Amino acid sequence: MTSIAGEVLLDVSKVSQTLGGTKILAGVSFQIIDRVRADVVTGQVVALLGPSGVGKTRLLRILAGLDAPDAGTVRGKDGVELLQGSVGFVFQDYPLLRHRTVRSNLELAGRIAGMAPADTVKRADRLMETFQLAERADFYPAQLSGGQRQRDAIAQQIMQPRQLLLMDEPFSGLDPAALAKVASLVVEVANLDDLNTIVVVTHDIRTAMVVSDTVHMLGRDRSGGKIVPGARVKESYDMVERGLAWRRGVEQSQDFLELEREISAKFQEL
Amino acid sequence: MPEAKATKTGRPPGIALAFLPNRVLSRTTAAIVIAFWVVATLILWVALPWKTLPTPLEIWRALGTMWWTRGLGPELFTTLKLIASATFFTVVVSLSLSYVTVLPFFRPLVEGVSKLRFLGLTGLVFPFTLMTGGGYALKVVLLTFGMATFFVTAMAQNVAEIPRSEFDHMRVLGAGEVRIVWEVVVRGTLDKAVDCLRQNVAMGWAMITMVEGISRAEGGIGALILDENKHFLLAEVYALLLVILVVGLAMDYAMGVLGNVLCPHARLGRIAR
Repeated sequence: MTSIAGEVLLDVSKVSQTLGGTKILAGVSFQIIDRVRADVVTGQVVALLGPSGVGKTRLLRILAGLDAPDAGTVRGKDGVELLQGSVGFVFQDYPLLRHRTVRSNLELAGRIAGMAPADTVKRADRLMETFQLAERADFYPAQLSGGQRQRDAIAQQIMQPRQLLLMDEPFSGLDPAALAKVASLVVEVANLDDLNTIVVVTHDIRTAMVVSDTVHMLGRDRSGGKIVPGARVKESYDMVERGLAWRRGVEQSQDFLELEREISAKFQEL
Repeated sequence: MPEAKATKTGRPPGIALAFLPNRVLSRTTAAIVIAFWVVATLILWVALPWKTLPTPLEIWRALGTMWWTRGLGPELFTTLKLIASATFFTVVVSLSLSYVTVLPFFRPLVEGVSKLRFLGLTGLVFPFTLMTGGGYALKVVLLTFGMATFFVTAMAQNVAEIPRSEFDHMRVLGAGEVRIVWEVVVRGTLDKAVDCLRQNVAMGWAMITMVEGISRAEGGIGALILDENKHFLLAEVYALLLVILVVGLAMDYAMGVLGNVLCPHARLGRIAR
């Protein structure tokens, strides 16, 4: 598939959801557009920032087709409605089938997608190499470290030929070294293909800014100091426009630090 | 208790660990502890002033008599055949009912079957006799009923406790609901099914004397033990109890091996915890 700069790859329009009488999402709207750089394979990484309990995971579930919104639409490339199974989703607790090995978990994803057996094996081998899991191919999830489990869960999701991948809090609970590794893994996976798009839900402002080309802040309004139920996108930051995307060591730059302070201040008010 | 001497590494020596709370013993130390208790039990058995128990030697002789002259071998085979048949039907019925709880329509039915575990077997002999005509079939049905009602309860609970995220995980991979049931419900709980089966076979084995006593038609070790009991042949009764215990332990061990073979990941999970 060809990549066209500015083409809409994901269109989330006025998505609302109420659960148990409580409004969770109130008209969430944002678009993800195709980012193109000459001679560089560039996927898209979009961060959804928001405090705990604001409804980020709920929104991801809707994007993945696991839950239906009460109102609003979610459409993919060419305005196609996103169906369950057409979007990858790496859950926060990295679920894997515990009765299957690393290799078997990957191959199952390929078989479900209808890939030919030979292609399934080849792709699983390649992904295990990419994600440094080749030596753990015959290990069960119970034998993997947290990082290996996370890599296996991501590999399983991109085993299938899908270009939209949702990741729920991939940076939470990691030490600085692991955080840097996961952050570069997210960028690496996005840049495997021009049309690859990763939506990362997080409350880690700095890492979100480092990895993404767009940052959306999800939050609730306040009225008289009280929180009004129902989250929406309150701010969006185009990191490409600001010259803060795709730059090694960008977090050291003055512009980055200023924006981080601005986002942090707004985050406190969400 | 003498105070444990610390080793060079600062840890107390092996056997002393057995007297410290929350410690894990090495295989050798664990074997020594088990050997101690076995020897202590035997000494207690022989040295007890009350002669309610025949001596180990009397039981050993009785066992020989039972085996060579009273047909213990064929009776044991009959009992093993009974438990095997009942286990087979229990597995088929219980797993079918447990897995079918993924369909909300069947949940009240399974819930109802689960509640039947509070019924005693004795009251069911009459209706089951009418249904089966008695004999071997009656014993199989009684034992299956006794085991399956507990098996269904435990397994249906296991199925109900599968986290929603496991289903969602398969859904985002694009799996259909039938494949999800196979991977998440059937294969995903296989280790728990084997564990439940292990418990239920133990329960069934404990019920075997009662069931064989209800209908003595084809004999079996349960019928044999009741006969010996009637004639106050204590050594023979204890010899039979010993056989029941040893066979029960062997079956339990075999179920453990089966679990490890079918579900190696479950053992790894336990070690990881």
